Amino acid sequence: MLLTPEIITILTLDFIFAFFGLIAFIISINIVRKWNLNSTTPTQYKLEKQSFLVATIIKYIFIIKLPLFLFFIFTADKLSDIITGAMCAAGVVSSVSFGTSMFVYKILNLYLFGFWLVLNHYDLKKENQPYTRYKFMLYVLGFFLLSIEIYYDISFFTSLDVSKLVSCCGTIFSAASSSSISFIFSINKIYFVYLFYISFTFVLLSYLFKNSIAIFVSNFIYIFIAIISLIMFFGTYIYQLPTHHCPFCLLQKNYYYIGYILYVALYAGTFYGISGAIMSKLEHKPQKFYYNISIIFDIIYALIVSAYPIVYFLRNGVWL
Amino acid sequence: MKNKFNFLLLDFAISSIFRRGSKNIFIFFVFTLLIFLLSSVLFISNSIKSELDTTLNALPDITVQRLQAGRAINIPTSRINKLLAIDGVKAVIPRVWGYYYFANAGVNFSVVGIDKFDDQYKDLYAKLCDKFDFDKLQDKKSMIVGKGVQKILKSNFYNGYFNFIKPDGSLEKLTIAGVFSDDTKLESNDVILLPMEKARDIFGMSKNEAVDFVIKVPNPVEIPNIAKKIRLLYPDCRVITKEDLSISYQNIFDYKSGLFLALFIISAFTFFMIIYDKASGISSDEKKEIGILKAVGWTIDDVLKEKFYEAFVISFISFITALSLAIFYVYFLNAPLLKNIFIGYSSLKPEFDLPFAFDFQTFAIIFFLTVPIYIAATIIPSWKTASLNADEVMR
Repeated sequence: MLLTPEIITILTLDFIFAFFGLIAFIISINIVRKWNLNSTTPTQYKLEKQSFLVATIIKYIFIIKLPLFLFFIFTADKLSDIITGAMCAAGVVSSVSFGTSMFVYKILNLYLFGFWLVLNHYDLKKENQPYTRYKFMLYVLGFFLLSIEIYYDISFFTSLDVSKLVSCCGTIFSAASSSSISFIFSINKIYFVYLFYISFTFVLLSYLFKNSIAIFVSNFIYIFIAIISLIMFFGTYIYQLPTHHCPFCLLQKNYYYIGYILYVALYAGTFYGISGAIMSKLEHKPQKFYYNISIIFDIIYALIVSAYPIVYFLRNGVWL
Repeated sequence: MKNKFNFLLLDFAISSIFRRGSKNIFIFFVFTLLIFLLSSVLFISNSIKSELDTTLNALPDITVQRLQAGRAINIPTSRINKLLAIDGVKAVIPRVWGYYYFANAGVNFSVVGIDKFDDQYKDLYAKLCDKFDFDKLQDKKSMIVGKGVQKILKSNFYNGYFNFIKPDGSLEKLTIAGVFSDDTKLESNDVILLPMEKARDIFGMSKNEAVDFVIKVPNPVEIPNIAKKIRLLYPDCRVITKEDLSISYQNIFDYKSGLFLALFIISAFTFFMIIYDKASGISSDEKKEIGILKAVGWTIDDVLKEKFYEAFVISFISFITALSLAIFYVYFLNAPLLKNIFIGYSSLKPEFDLPFAFDFQTFAIIFFLTVPIYIAATIIPSWKTASLNADEVMR
């Protein structure tokens, strides 16, 4: 196990999350089981008070988690210096068998906890608190995902081995690799460009028509299409190298940390889109504020990734 | 989530902090001290690391040592030609260097032999070769010393010369021809430069021996391959590449600051308990205040928000104060006392200024380890306070 300051920091915060998360979990189960807004028993009164504690804890976890996730990637990037063979976070993450699923859980939790806060916000606005039961059910699920994530964090950092040879992103993200995504590298790149812009148009259209289902679906698809097209096409223009497909290297200094901006924009855009769409469905009226933020960030993302190939073409007169 | 920032609430929180001044000053003081300690240690470790990183480029591409029974021994210079024959090797430089224990002061000098016709493996030495004529040094029996060495010698009444005791017991008197001080004092402070022959004399080595070889490889991509070839050619040799060294540097410093952090975590959690305790014990005045606030229409959420603002204001001001104090302590005062954790005390203690090296990452570590812990400690007490019943506490 490595004992670097970054790892100790992340594990300490994980410990705090686990502790408070557990408290919130126990209260949530009680609330899900016994909540009844019309009753005037002391139990109900106690539960109403406790629901504020849970909300505070979740707010706390989410607010810290958001920057901590970026810090986690940053740490993985730094560890690539001392782990043999790794040149960016991709190598470090792939050094353990559960690396990919760890990442998926981390991102999933960010969406889930964020959505919880949105639900909580709407819940407290109304006198009859219509979503209380649902939001605590959601948290019970969220706690399980959080526990898995913390478990992954701990086993990830304890199983890191300086002397073990890991793969560089150049081999992970190539057609030659045996990973689950290698087959897409045999597909012509241009299809991914079409796919991305079709998906982006879908996002724009659904915004214009303010249809909540369309917005939900389009933003959901947009996450995946955006990442795949970034790996397959846009990334190569950021690196100006047709063979470099890594989605992690663009977080490094050499590329002016552009990855952080891209991923934050993508997260913000799709998160506001998806949660706005769900809330519109629940509230039976479109949540324009969420849609507006969503579309702004979605457009920012699309503009940045599109700018790279265009600037490249203008400078060099050829496509990669 | 249209959580607008409420400045009136912030104003209320700040005045609430001042109303309970004595309690908050204590917390502020202890918290600032904690953050100060943490950030000082991380700053020192960072700036030494950055100092070493700059010298890393000056390090040899490959170093070859000969081992016998697991210990490094002298290596015959006859091996040079075979090493030169490996493709990609530009130069093989035999080095004669070692430690000379000066018993009076209880320190080790690093004695380095220089042959002016060899390629120099350090830019620093190459510059000195241009400046001083080592042939003349040989004739005049003189040497060039680091600032620290000069100081030690002076305090032991060796003015301008030094008597080395050779292995056979005879004395070798050398005069000081020059003193060098460099930007990288960390590497030159305890160094004595001699002509190669004199260094061999002092260590009692024969003419066709060297302590180790330094190999220059112009193409960095070839280094691992060449290192492998040398290992096959001379199995009794230990081959160390530049990359190995840089990894072990980072490991050492991460380990040292990690060890400190592990200790820090314990004190941070002790602090957590103190805060928890302090925040739980609310006075009857405070209870009354909460009661009135709730009676005039504040919800639990509003009180919680106000408490959160309080916690954030205290922790953030502590954070900023401690950070500025630490920057002053480390970069202006040169971190007295704490610096020794990292430098060690083995050789001549080098005195040097810590170069300014502040990166975002350190900032993030310090922030994550302090402010969230403080706020976490206040969550449950504030909730307890906020959920007091208005009618009960106002009675």
